[in-house]
Amino acid sequence: MTTLNIRNVGQITDARLTFGDLTVLVGPQATGKSIALQLLKLMVDAGQVQGELSRYGLDWSGRLPDFLDVYLGEGMHGVWRQGESSIEWAGRAVDLAQLAARKRRAKDESLFFIPAQRVLALRDGWPRPFTDYSPGDPFAVREYSEKLRVLVEQEFGAAEDLFPQERRLKREFRDLLEKNVFSNFHLRVDKIRSQKRLVLGAGGGAENLPYMVWSAGQREFVPLLLGFYWLMPPTKVSTRAEIEWVVLEELEMGLHPRAISVVVLLVLELVARGYRVCLSTHSPQVLDAIWALKHLRENQAPPETLLRIFEAPNTQPMQRLAASAMEKTVKVYYFNRETGTTGDISNLDPSAEGQAEAGWGGLSEFSGRANEAVARAVANAGREEQQ
Amino acid sequence: MTFKEAVERTPNLKTGWRSGKGALEAKDKPHIKPEDTRQLRGSAFMDAALRTREPHANRWDYAIGYQHTNRNAEFIYWVETHTGSDDQIKVVLKKLEWLKTWLRRDGQHLDRFDRDMIWVSSGHTLFTKGSAQVKRLAQKGLLYSGAILRIPNERPV
Repeated sequence: MTTLNIRNVGQITDARLTFGDLTVLVGPQATGKSIALQLLKLMVDAGQVQGELSRYGLDWSGRLPDFLDVYLGEGMHGVWRQGESSIEWAGRAVDLAQLAARKRRAKDESLFFIPAQRVLALRDGWPRPFTDYSPGDPFAVREYSEKLRVLVEQEFGAAEDLFPQERRLKREFRDLLEKNVFSNFHLRVDKIRSQKRLVLGAGGGAENLPYMVWSAGQREFVPLLLGFYWLMPPTKVSTRAEIEWVVLEELEMGLHPRAISVVVLLVLELVARGYRVCLSTHSPQVLDAIWALKHLRENQAPPETLLRIFEAPNTQPMQRLAASAMEKTVKVYYFNRETGTTGDISNLDPSAEGQAEAGWGGLSEFSGRANEAVARAVANAGREEQQ
Repeated sequence: MTFKEAVERTPNLKTGWRSGKGALEAKDKPHIKPEDTRQLRGSAFMDAALRTREPHANRWDYAIGYQHTNRNAEFIYWVETHTGSDDQIKVVLKKLEWLKTWLRRDGQHLDRFDRDMIWVSSGHTLFTKGSAQVKRLAQKGLLYSGAILRIPNERPV
């Protein structure tokens, strides 16, 4: 298994991550999850990152602080403290100053990064090019936006619906998404004068709905859907050959639990296809799914039991997906705000002695407190007080 | 009235008081972790004490007295150690009903104490803290602690 150890970077004091086929990061806001994921991208794709930054005219003069400002975003150079900060990738120390100083040979991208700010990728309903952003915007956002622009402009015909789209995603996923996200609307390309834009159309002569009137969930989901399209090309090959890793930040953003359920199943599809996926999440539902996956695997449950959790049809393709997902290794890490360290909570054991694991990194703490309050109120109601 | 006095005034339980965790079976002791054992005010093994009188009832396991540092009166933890699985919910809820009835009928002195009623899992736990099962228990007045019941010195308000 591949490891990433980070010391004294930003809020992180000591993070030790060993990646599984699926790795999930949880923890309160601003505990370093996103920095860790962006550093993972840098470890895997330094050449590609530098190549892209140079291609778009960004110059960091070989200086690490300037490089961090263009890569992580304006003002982020402060996360690296010279003499204190360090990174180990796959057991080897990485000199980040040297990495910034020496341009590496550009190579194909190995890690596809879907950032939390993906909603910014669509402006007025059309993906923004890399150069449309400010130089101080994070590389991950600009790069993702550019990918979507290329995808929409080069991989879809002008008259095609982008959703549903027969050549993209399994029929079962299309049905689940129609039911839980799009409500029978079609995602298509429209033109207002000469400007192309994505719209939702109900068909039957109804007006197309432009981006600004979509629901918040639809605005969040469409950039994510396009990311899934990118990762699942309409060919006999089930993956983008050059891509090994996928990072998906906060998959749950803006989505109803039913839509989250479909997205988690899509993540399992990515894992089943052979991608190594890393998620960050604030959704207990994601950990519910991981917890169930673990116990179903341990108890050798048939694949349809996993499908039932997602209310997915018990068809052969979905059974194959479930069977494959159940064989994969899953790791879960908690980022602790108080200590700046990470903890391996992969067992997600509700009876674990450590609160981080028993409370699933804080994701079930609120529910736990609500339950306690109710149980105490009921247990003590209507009895005589002690004199 | 202290927890010890209340136990000693309760029919069929009066000889059941033991100091500390003394009334707990050896297998159950590791599941109960008070922050300060000196604050324990004793324990009673109800299941054993009432076995002869109510052999077929779904009897509750333990009462444990504790003096929290931020409270004047002693507090009772009513503890049932039981396998933490879905199929045992009905069984434990029956025990809870039995306990409530018994408190009203025979245990009035103990009934006056502030309390938590807690299911401590004696084996592998399959409930999560936010699960619907745990909510269902909470609505009946039952807390599910997982495998360990930690008793803090200061009782949360």
